[in-house]
Amino acid sequence: MIGYLFVAFFNGVVVGTSRATNGRLSSAVGPFKASLWNHVVGFLLLTVIIFLASDWHFAASPPWPAYLGGVFGALFVAVNSYVFPRLGAMNAALLAISGQMITAVLVDFLNQGVTPTVVRCLGVVIVLLGVYLSRVTNARRDKAEKDAGR
Amino acid sequence: MIGRSTDWLLAVAGGALLALMINYNSLLARHASPLHASWVAHGLGALVALLLVVGYARVVRRPGKEGERAKAPWWSYFGGVPGAFTVVLAAVTVNGGLALSGTIALTLAGQVVFGIVSDYFGLFGTPRRRIVAGDFLVAGSVLTGSALIIFGGA
Repeated sequence: MIGYLFVAFFNGVVVGTSRATNGRLSSAVGPFKASLWNHVVGFLLLTVIIFLASDWHFAASPPWPAYLGGVFGALFVAVNSYVFPRLGAMNAALLAISGQMITAVLVDFLNQGVTPTVVRCLGVVIVLLGVYLSRVTNARRDKAEKDAGR
Repeated sequence: MIGRSTDWLLAVAGGALLALMINYNSLLARHASPLHASWVAHGLGALVALLLVVGYARVVRRPGKEGERAKAPWWSYFGGVPGAFTVVLAAVTVNGGLALSGTIALTLAGQVVFGIVSDYFGLFGTPRRRIVAGDFLVAGSVLTGSALIIFGGA
């Protein structure tokens, strides 16, 4: 169990590495090309993995909205690669998490038609507070660095 | 170097796109394995990204911009490698008994710790950034709020 806890945490580091790498590429070739490279390389690698696992069966045909994930994925990588070098790794990660978590609450609400629990609503408020604090913290650091540079 | 409000809004909007991506990819994964779902999503994502590249080049014509931007280091083309492994690792932990909620929570924590370390050392060619006490308050708020959302029931 401890091993799986570590793997899940390590996966966050892997996610960060991917976004940092795409962000670096984006500042050289632009966000859309960075998204293209990310998806082409990932597709080729997954093809190899599926081939090695000799796992080629496709069972049921999914409903068409299931294919929308690729569209949002391409847009997400482009947007995230664009802001990554501009905001820094930590800000980029925290703001993406904030947008992701708040949208997840809305998506669950729309999918299941059940009002979110009080705990979840409190979670949204605390996430928004974090986003606000990040603005304050960064504005303050900006000013301090400007003053120090003078 | 710290971005303007539009960068902030874009970053949060990116997170919204990510949530939608995960929503539809897990719908796909209910009809195939996580590996196959990710394979299909990467293939379609590549096509959509190609359309974006071509569309953007049509709309914005800026000739003679070659050499204006810094050259991309060779390793920066391989962001898709860790991206693809993410799917495999997530499948390992979810199947290993760590529920999806626990997997997501720990992965978020890993991302934030990576962000702090990456900023501090200026990893992957990003500018180095001083870590201040306020950063930990921000990270603490976002992670606490996220934990309440993840474990707070649907």
